[in-house]
Amino acid sequence: MSMTNAAQINETTVFDMEPVKKKQRIKSFMKGMAFLLPSIILFSVFLFYPMFRTIYLSFFLTKANGDPTVFVGLENYINMFSSPIFLKSMKSTFLFVLYTVPASVIISLFLSIIANEKLKGIGFFRTMYSSTMGVSVAAASVFWLYLFNPSMGLLNQVLGSFGIEAIGWLTDPKWALLSVSITTIWMNIGFTFLILLGGLQSIDSSLYESADIEGAGYLYKLRRVTIPMLSPTMFFVITVTIINAFQSFGQIDILTQGGPINETNLIVYSIYREAFVNYKFGSASAQAIVLFILILLMTALQFKLGERKVHYQ
Amino acid sequence: MKKLLAFLTLGLLLFLAACSSEGGSAKEPGNNGDTSDSAENAEKQEVTFWHSMGGAGQEALNKIVEEYNTSQDGIQVNAEYQGTYDESLTKFNAVAGSDSAPSVIQTFEIGTMSMINSGQITPIQEFVDADSYDMSGLEENITNYYSLDGKFYSMPFNSSTPVMYYNKDAFKAAGLDPETPPATYEEVEEASKKIVESNPEMKGFALQAYGWLWEQLLANQGALLLNNDNGRTDTPTEIGWTEEEGKSILEWVKRMVDDETFANYGTNGDNMMAGFLAGDVSMFLQSSASSRDVIDNAPFEVGIAYLPHPEDKERQGVVIGGASLWMIDGKSEEEQKAAWEFMKYLQTPEIQAEWHVGTGYFAINPGAYEEQVVKDAHAEKPQLQVTVDQLQDTKASYATQGALMDMLPEGRKIMETALEKIYNGGDVDEAYNTAVEQFNVAIEQANAARGE
Repeated sequence: MSMTNAAQINETTVFDMEPVKKKQRIKSFMKGMAFLLPSIILFSVFLFYPMFRTIYLSFFLTKANGDPTVFVGLENYINMFSSPIFLKSMKSTFLFVLYTVPASVIISLFLSIIANEKLKGIGFFRTMYSSTMGVSVAAASVFWLYLFNPSMGLLNQVLGSFGIEAIGWLTDPKWALLSVSITTIWMNIGFTFLILLGGLQSIDSSLYESADIEGAGYLYKLRRVTIPMLSPTMFFVITVTIINAFQSFGQIDILTQGGPINETNLIVYSIYREAFVNYKFGSASAQAIVLFILILLMTALQFKLGERKVHYQ
Repeated sequence: MKKLLAFLTLGLLLFLAACSSEGGSAKEPGNNGDTSDSAENAEKQEVTFWHSMGGAGQEALNKIVEEYNTSQDGIQVNAEYQGTYDESLTKFNAVAGSDSAPSVIQTFEIGTMSMINSGQITPIQEFVDADSYDMSGLEENITNYYSLDGKFYSMPFNSSTPVMYYNKDAFKAAGLDPETPPATYEEVEEASKKIVESNPEMKGFALQAYGWLWEQLLANQGALLLNNDNGRTDTPTEIGWTEEEGKSILEWVKRMVDDETFANYGTNGDNMMAGFLAGDVSMFLQSSASSRDVIDNAPFEVGIAYLPHPEDKERQGVVIGGASLWMIDGKSEEEQKAAWEFMKYLQTPEIQAEWHVGTGYFAINPGAYEEQVVKDAHAEKPQLQVTVDQLQDTKASYATQGALMDMLPEGRKIMETALEKIYNGGDVDEAYNTAVEQFNVAIEQANAARGE
């Protein structure tokens, strides 16, 4: 009798425990959700909804105000990949990434290594090298626009004083993409320099001390200590610069507006033109999806290839 | 837990409030007006006017609006600069149909068809009829553009046409007569050669790669931009110019590029003007709206001439450029009436005279040319007269009435690319064929997108 009683009591307690645990789990789940709610709402409003809307729009033709009119399935995508303008835009975008990313990173790496030396007045140089970070894209572009000006631009005047014929920096299709790249590299340097310098300064000095004791030379230390220790920072900088290069817009809009002969019509500018000048939101959305997939792939590829070489302490 | 939730909701509310106030900042003057409307002078009717006049144009326009607001006490016009025509149209499309939409918006001529198709506007013909307003008092070539099947959809406001600016001093130095500027393509080529011969530092001619100029050069030889009478009798289905007409422009430029008398400024009009003022080039085509700027800033004597045409074609004249004012649908009757009053005010000869002299745009009301301010300005700068004469010499036809279609901005970009190809030594046939093909595809797609 007492046995069964005890079992019964036991059972009831077990019975009672379950809902309590469940309740607690729900409660903690709700608590967690409450913490996440603001970001879920924000992400839904500003990221997920626009993204699904973009995918949706890419299957339609639209009116000038962006209302979808005719469902065309994949036609926007098919037209896009058979359009010489879009293919050119893709080519220019990849060339632009190729021109700007390695140059920005190498120049900033060089600058940050020399600015990392402990010299008198080095603070001044560090400020100088990172100063382009404080210049907005619009201001920098206007400044370069004047340098590139065919009649009174400084660059052509300097060339002229050496007896070299003036270059149509922004009007010659051979030069335009390069000119925009130069502007972009100049603008990138401030940010990449600052991040790389930060990376250099966080390298443990004991590593250099041991290397000194071993009698390692400057270049050997650079190759065996500095670069490996800097690799996480480098990885970050390269990823960010590549994404930025893919998304460049301001300097194009101000310097060339995609010209000459669509030579600098980079993909984001092409999306802008398609949507807000030609009022074809459908094909603009299709291009945006392609850009999204492209950046996703590039970043994934980088993580796959690059991360193996990255040395985390 | 409850506290936390309360905080979160509060935070979210604040956030949303911040968002919505940001979204509404564009119509801030309107909001201010609303409060004063109910509080102090309930009888004042607000009119929100979106325009795209920057620089000197904005100054002149603000002055006119201010004068209007003080001249009577029934209507308060709030003029708001909304960026370029493209930007303003994009903003308008985003707010159309909501309370944030303006009462009146200024839009460029090639936006005419997309405004009509948008379904967000009230054709001003309704007000013209109700008010028995006489539109025939306005410049005929301007009303030609804006009337469609005898119906006015918008009120013309600021109009300009392309003209050829030339450097009179350079013409003298090259032994050319500064008073008889070249009128045909062939004469422009000859003059350019002489200029370069006399001064190797200076190029003869510059043509900005600008689709608007392409449209004008076509119209001047009587060619249509789109078929179906420039889209005025039916929806266009393809381009309207013939191969000979289209290629004549490209070949003309090509010959000058080959002669090395052509200055390439790409799509940048500012650089071209700077080059002209610096004496790098002796002739260029540009809107007459810049005439004031060019004449005032040039260190030499500036001549203004008609747009050139091919030798074997007669000059037909130009299509008006510029913009018109649109009445937005879905507003209260009082607001629309007030906006209509303001539109009428802008057409009066006195205001148009002030506008013409202050900016270099045409007076769309010919009565303005009788005003003393205009007479004085023309006596002082006779070149301004040329721009007016050119418009009045224009022969009315479908070609010079200008094209109507919603894909025109895209078409302009296509032609600009073709011109740039020629500037950089490209082949005429290749550039021409690509452009025509793309132009036709753009027309097709625009027709398909309307779902008709």
